[in-house]
Amino acid sequence: MLEATNELGNVALQAGGTLTDANAAAALAVGLAALGAGYAERGIGSAAVGAMAEDDDLFVNGLILTVLPETIVILALVVVFIV
Amino acid sequence: MSAVGSSNPEYVVARVRARRGSLYGDEEYRKLTRMGPAEIARFMEESSYGAEINALGSRHGGVDLIEYALNRNLAEQFDDILDWSEGALYDLIARYLRKFDAWNVKTVIRGVYTDADQSAIEVDLIRAGEFDDRLIRRLLEADSIDAVVEVLEDTIYGDPLREAYAEYEETDTLVPLENAVDRAFYERLLSGLGGDEPTRQYEAFLRAEVDFRNAINALRLARSGADIDPAAYFIEGGELFTRGSLARLARNLDELVEYIADSQYGEELGPALRELEEADSLIAFEHATDAALLAYGDQLGTIHPVSVTPVISYILAKEREVENIRAIARGKEAGLSADEIESELVIT
Repeated sequence: MLEATNELGNVALQAGGTLTDANAAAALAVGLAALGAGYAERGIGSAAVGAMAEDDDLFVNGLILTVLPETIVILALVVVFIV
Repeated sequence: MSAVGSSNPEYVVARVRARRGSLYGDEEYRKLTRMGPAEIARFMEESSYGAEINALGSRHGGVDLIEYALNRNLAEQFDDILDWSEGALYDLIARYLRKFDAWNVKTVIRGVYTDADQSAIEVDLIRAGEFDDRLIRRLLEADSIDAVVEVLEDTIYGDPLREAYAEYEETDTLVPLENAVDRAFYERLLSGLGGDEPTRQYEAFLRAEVDFRNAINALRLARSGADIDPAAYFIEGGELFTRGSLARLARNLDELVEYIADSQYGEELGPALRELEEADSLIAFEHATDAALLAYGDQLGTIHPVSVTPVISYILAKEREVENIRAIARGKEAGLSADEIESELVIT
């Protein structure tokens, strides 16, 4: 496993080197954070819709809980301003 | 309503948890045990059974109305759950709900056997399983047992029923047909379950249920002393008994009681077993197995909140509620006192 990873690293280095462009790295960080947030929202969103279907009063709670993971993306966005 | 795609436990669990909140609690049961049948129907109309009571109120009355409304509500709720779920989740839930298909098949066969009226059979069906309305209509229209077997050809009951039909023709008793239906159901229940942790818990629950069913059957046979081969009633899949051990134990009640007391269920069923020995009452034992299953079901949904287990836990609780209300209504009809009825209820 370790050897394979080394091999992969070598290939990556030969092919184009490491990720040295700070802007690209920041973009990647935000993108991955957004991906994580999206995955989290998938589960929460479907649960929220389920709860809302049973009881309309849960709309506000459902909405708030659904967008909570969005904070991850906002925090990740800080990275863009730092670099 | 399909077994394709990825499963969506989040959605189903959220809806089921909301519905669980509206099940009757201790307080409601206490009120119900002090009401007459008409008041119970009225009480149900104001709760989640409103639509069913209203729909059936013009055609039925009294305890029958309560009974049919309960059946219909149960069917509707479980059909909803199957409608919502997809993928692996659907498969897991459908496994358990197929027991209503088995119930329906048996009801139709019994109805045809006794030449019952079509509408009389229809009200006793619980449309909670996988059979769609068209299949049920065709089942109801069948006028002989042969025709029933033919309608079911493409379902999981097709082949076993076809085999049992020959035996039925020889003996003219329904036992082989009913056994074939039960066995087809239990075979599908435990075959090819997945390996993740919530599924294993679900499997353990199903095994416990099979064990209890075997235990009750064996106790009945042992008590009645009838000359029936216990192995014929054995259901595969449990952990407690094997076909051989069940056949041996069903001949001796004391040995059987001792065997169950020493098993992993001894702790939960212990008091009921002592009562069985002293008072010779099987009802207490059946209640104890029901209560043990319900307690297990309540626990079931807590460890893995987003999986099949909370859904199954709700299904059990709902079934229990329907049975409790039915017991109250029937008890009232028979003129039992509130205390006597309360002892019939299974509440955790």
